[in-house]
Amino acid sequence: MRRYILRRLLQGLVLLVLVATIVFFLGRLTGNPVDLMLPEDATPEDRQALTETLGLDGPLHQQFGIFIANALRGDLGQSIRHRQPAVEVFFSRLPNTLLIVPGAMMLAVILAVPLGILSALYRGSIIDRVAGTIAVLGIATPHFWLGILLIYIFSVQLDWLPTSRMGDYRHYILPTVTLSTFLLAGFMRLIRSSMLEILDSEFVKLARIKGLSETIVVWKHCLRNALIPVLTLWGVFMGGLVTGAIVTETVFAWPGIGRLTYEAVIFRDYPLLQAAIIMDAVLIVLINLIVDILYAYVDPRIRLAE
Amino acid sequence: MKKYCGLLKRCLVLALAWIPVTMAAETQEGTLVVAIDTLGAQSMDPIQETRSAHAHYQAPMYDALVGFNFEKGGKGPGVAERWEFAKDGLSWTFYLRKGLKWHNGDPLTAHDVKFSLERTMSKESISSRKAALRRDVKSIEVIDEHTVRIYTNGVQVDFPENLSRATSGQEGQLMPKKYIETVGAEEFRKKPIGSGPWKIVKNVPGDRIEYEAVDYPHWRGTPHFKRLILLLVPEESTRVAMVRTGEAAIASISPEALKEVKAAKMKVVSVPGTMQAIYQMYGLYLPESQKNPLADKRVREALSLAIDRQQIIDHVMYGEASWPLPFDIFQYSADTDTERWRKWSREALRYDPKRAKQLLAEAGYPNGFELKFANFAMAGTPFMSQIGLVITDFWSRVGVKVKSTHYEFGSFAPLLLGEQKQLVGVVSMYRTAGRPVAAPRFYTTFHSRSDHHLLGRGNDCPELCKTFDELHKAVTVEQDPVKRAEKTNRMIELVSDAWFAVPIIEGMGYWAVNPKKVGAFKPIPGRHEFGDVFERMPRPEQKPWQ
Repeated sequence: MRRYILRRLLQGLVLLVLVATIVFFLGRLTGNPVDLMLPEDATPEDRQALTETLGLDGPLHQQFGIFIANALRGDLGQSIRHRQPAVEVFFSRLPNTLLIVPGAMMLAVILAVPLGILSALYRGSIIDRVAGTIAVLGIATPHFWLGILLIYIFSVQLDWLPTSRMGDYRHYILPTVTLSTFLLAGFMRLIRSSMLEILDSEFVKLARIKGLSETIVVWKHCLRNALIPVLTLWGVFMGGLVTGAIVTETVFAWPGIGRLTYEAVIFRDYPLLQAAIIMDAVLIVLINLIVDILYAYVDPRIRLAE
Repeated sequence: MKKYCGLLKRCLVLALAWIPVTMAAETQEGTLVVAIDTLGAQSMDPIQETRSAHAHYQAPMYDALVGFNFEKGGKGPGVAERWEFAKDGLSWTFYLRKGLKWHNGDPLTAHDVKFSLERTMSKESISSRKAALRRDVKSIEVIDEHTVRIYTNGVQVDFPENLSRATSGQEGQLMPKKYIETVGAEEFRKKPIGSGPWKIVKNVPGDRIEYEAVDYPHWRGTPHFKRLILLLVPEESTRVAMVRTGEAAIASISPEALKEVKAAKMKVVSVPGTMQAIYQMYGLYLPESQKNPLADKRVREALSLAIDRQQIIDHVMYGEASWPLPFDIFQYSADTDTERWRKWSREALRYDPKRAKQLLAEAGYPNGFELKFANFAMAGTPFMSQIGLVITDFWSRVGVKVKSTHYEFGSFAPLLLGEQKQLVGVVSMYRTAGRPVAAPRFYTTFHSRSDHHLLGRGNDCPELCKTFDELHKAVTVEQDPVKRAEKTNRMIELVSDAWFAVPIIEGMGYWAVNPKKVGAFKPIPGRHEFGDVFERMPRPEQKPWQ
């Protein structure tokens, strides 16, 4: 197991180096922050002065060399816009995102598990169709539009909830619901298909022949096995949550890492964009590593293969 | 008796000094909440901001050396109540208001002015005009506590404008010398103090900035609200919803939201003269461009005549825009005969498709020609690309075949630099921001050494280009106001008649207002941001909206 973890860690490191390199060069292809920071009537002299102050005057390969050397020391540069270390800016916003992501995940699981099971158990029934419609809507509806719709209904028309921003518990409801829809739909369809496969398997038939109650068959034998692929995809979904947060946090004026990444893109804040994407990648790599380890424990076949 | 009289006098002075303080404090109530689309770098250190967002969030707490003309727009008295141009044209003397103080109680003096300008020009500053200021300023001399003299490199006629937020920059914002030297720059950024009518309470990056009104009469106006909160809400629909629900009193909006805002019975405040949407043409001075139809002045004029500006004002801008004056000229422009140019623009910028077709035919293009168009919107003015779409439609109606490419501005901007090889013969959208002085923007667009250099560059500087360069120089060094106005008008005439950069509409800054949360107020013409207006906003019961 130790070798397995070590190998995954090394793979993660290689992945991070690749991500850092790609982000460094692709980010610079999209424009220069100096153009966006200066007013329309700035002179070439103004541009040159700001370029030098921001350290963007050297050749690209030289800038890349400095970036890699600093990155190895844990320094991902200083945010051009915030004039603070980019990693510091990222970590100052991360807790805000972590306030809604687990909630969204929990809400999605709480709703997806029973709906997925019911859909599988009553395949083709009205329940299955309703759940299927919810899933399709959840996947197809853009977060952006859903967020605005929820604000319009629950804040503007009904006046039940605040429109946006951080605050008391009521402020968490709309962003959490918005963020969870895509997860809910994905989880539900996954549980449904896994359940259908397992309900039809030999060991479930045996359990029924043995006279076990339907509740035990479904909840103990089927669900445990149906959750294995869900666990595998949990890591992938977490990545989706981080990118989904960009939209949700923008609509709900939530000062998290999603919006920070969006702002970094808009303002061509290269160091911040690099830091945000690299740190997001670190998070996703770590989550996937944890999932893989858990998976190895849940499914003994993984360990046997090892 | 004499002793009692003295005591009585002292008591009276104390009482009189106390009255305005308590009056100010008593009349300050409630919280003014404003939702805006950007807080820029959200740094409370003026030298860490480059763009106009400073006028949203730094302006409430920092005064500028030169202020506003609140009625007309453009510059007016600031911390300096007046200024004088030296007879030799090589220095400006600024006379400061007396009795001003920083939020910690220290007096604001000429030493602070010198310190602030030097800090703005320092290496650590990313101020957008740092280079220009370093080039223009030779030295700064403190004459006395309330007088400061700035010696310039050569004649700098427009120097005071560059120290006013009316012009754009944060360069004129004043910072406390003694405080920064005592606590250091890092601590100053954490606990900043200014001399404006609002003191900072809390700065939460990416979320909000909270201020508290000063409890003494302020020269810019003593705030009517006790607290001010600026919320960063990037999504416009959310900002509009916040005003509808009363979570915010005011929100910045774009013309696209005007219909919704009016339908929801909210008020719309339009700030006149904040920008001009224009189109401009590149590289037509080059010898290889002379076969391009756009090299013919008649074709360029025809393109303008083909545009129905009133349609754009009515339907794209929902009536909340106005007929433009010539390129970069606004009602509040200095040294300009605006009445003359108003008449000119009504006639020259008219919609006359028949004449447009006639001019195209005269130029040898009766069946039109192919035109490459780069469409994009710049930050804060998303409606530009919509206008771009509409003008291409107008052009196709007179037979011009428009090949349009849409850009995100960040990817278009690099094409403007250097030789502009990819832009030769291309027409693009652009804008001018509302500025009281025309010369700097004319330089950026037309001068042979500028970025855009629409009239020529280096050795490729034809007659028109040379004439412009000479005239521009003459405008910037002319000390006689009458002669300067005359030369400015000639410069406007020159570029207006060339049709290389053509105004489409004069845009406004738009705000949605909940009339139950804030009373009636007037914006400053040309300044979209409200950082210098918050203290003048009454509570709804003080001045209800009509």
